[in-house]
Amino acid sequence: MTNAVYLEMMIMKTGLNKIFFLLALATGVAFADPIPTEALTQGGLVMRDRQLRDIGLVMRGGRGGFIDIGYTYTPSSEQLQLKSKYGDHDGFAFRHHYGIFGSWVLDSVSHLGFLTWFDRAGWDSQDFFFFPHYGEFAHISSAFTWGFSYTNTAYDATVALGLQHQNLELASQKVYPDESDSLLFYWAHARYKNVSLQASFYRNTFQTIRLSLDLESRELYGGTGHGFKTYLPNLNATIYRRKNNGDDDNFVRLNLEQNLYKQMLYADVSYDFPKGGFHSAILKYYPDQLSRMVGFEASCLRRNEIGGSRKLLWGGAIDILILRLAYNSAFDYDNMFGAKGTLIAEIHLDLGSIGGQFFGRGAAKAAPMETTQKSRDPNKGLYYRSELRNTGTPTVDAQGNKVIEAKGIRYEKVDATQGGR
Amino acid sequence: MKYLRMFLCLVALSLTACVSHVFTDTTTRLQVQNKTDVTILGVDIISEDGKSVQPWIRDAIEPGEKSRVVEEDWVGTFRVRVRFDKWNGIANATYCAKEIDVKVRPQVVVKSLAKKSEPNVIITDDYGCSQEGRVHMVYSETTLDFEGGSQYLVVSQDDDGNVVFKLK
Repeated sequence: MTNAVYLEMMIMKTGLNKIFFLLALATGVAFADPIPTEALTQGGLVMRDRQLRDIGLVMRGGRGGFIDIGYTYTPSSEQLQLKSKYGDHDGFAFRHHYGIFGSWVLDSVSHLGFLTWFDRAGWDSQDFFFFPHYGEFAHISSAFTWGFSYTNTAYDATVALGLQHQNLELASQKVYPDESDSLLFYWAHARYKNVSLQASFYRNTFQTIRLSLDLESRELYGGTGHGFKTYLPNLNATIYRRKNNGDDDNFVRLNLEQNLYKQMLYADVSYDFPKGGFHSAILKYYPDQLSRMVGFEASCLRRNEIGGSRKLLWGGAIDILILRLAYNSAFDYDNMFGAKGTLIAEIHLDLGSIGGQFFGRGAAKAAPMETTQKSRDPNKGLYYRSELRNTGTPTVDAQGNKVIEAKGIRYEKVDATQGGR
Repeated sequence: MKYLRMFLCLVALSLTACVSHVFTDTTTRLQVQNKTDVTILGVDIISEDGKSVQPWIRDAIEPGEKSRVVEEDWVGTFRVRVRFDKWNGIANATYCAKEIDVKVRPQVVVKSLAKKSEPNVIITDDYGCSQEGRVHMVYSETTLDFEGGSQYLVVSQDDDGNVVFKLK
């Protein structure tokens, strides 16, 4: 019996969650466009930028803790093939990642934090957890970001800085261009209230500079939970340093996140300057009370093909606590080497905490996690107790006779030898 | 209990990632049988632009013979080139030992050798290499889908003088 059949049987048997079964079925039959080798060699840039964006979101609070662990799951080897100059190779694209932030309270206003973010992504002919197969056409690279943060709640300010390592674990010489195998970057982040500035450097040249204005009022960070202030936009602009055949090809990406309805419905639009134009638009719905731990999104992305047509890619994703299912979503296109035309599952945990409150990444409000205490109706209890007390006590009826009411029926098995016949 | 079941389900799901190699072949063990009446000089995987070549079967295969089994990491859909010593009586000339200049490659002349339309056997005549314009290589190309595991490629010839590939 193959593993897949066993798995399906197990899911059917337990009747736990039909989604898993549907997932196995859908990913088994839906084959995507292969991912190009160029997308894999760009993987390091993408990982580093996403990590710094994540860190920026976590530094909005700058205290408490945050954990994000996940790995993508694509069961079929024909699902995300590799497109090299020789043809299409069967195998698995993967993305394993974690991000952890923890902080200590130094005094009543100071918080010292430490953070590590790690991504390992690429393509291999087999999938794996920790030990890759290292196939002949594999490309495996990782990015590791770490640093310290200091937050002062009296001034509502955070500063953080650290290092970022990009390592090329393996890249087949047969199909990939030469790359530097180890690169070291520096990064720094500064926030005052809802304005933050973040930059990363390689040697003495900047790689990215990002200015963020989180104008939306968020309850989690001391703002209000309703009113017009919650409808202010969150803006950020990032300058990316890029080289194209030795020439500067820098560009700016603008992001706008806009609350559309009660901090449950958001629009997220990104736009590239000076060329490129519209990049993506995402409509996100987060059910109330769940603080972005459950989310639904529909996205539209303009594919950035080299010299080809720039068609729009429509997709969506469902995120339910530990499982994210996505089809053609803009996030996966950007972070999974331009993956499209297939269902991608990600098993993940994404949880932040500040002062006993829990929330999902980027949330405006914390999820109400307090356990509700079961309270008994006191009158009901008293009545029950008085009922107990009355049991078996004689009452006097209208004729003045004592009446004993039997409560319940008791059956005793009587031994035939002792029974009085 | 519900969470335990969910956890066990996740573990089972995750295990498929670890043990995929049990039911997924990541290599192809290829054996080639030559059913043509000419000798096969080798079987290669070539890139779409024809500039990169990865040899697979390096031995010459005489007519009616089988090659040795060679295991390589080619699982998927690739362009395969089979080289012959001659085709329809036109012989492959002696190998040109000079290094081929990439800039001269566009001068390569491709000529059909089959009798009817849509021939799949071609000769490259490399002027950059041999000043006399002698025949450099006789070969045929096709795109094959290798599923991994043991695969058997039969190269034969049809009535029109074209090469027929059958992958089992």
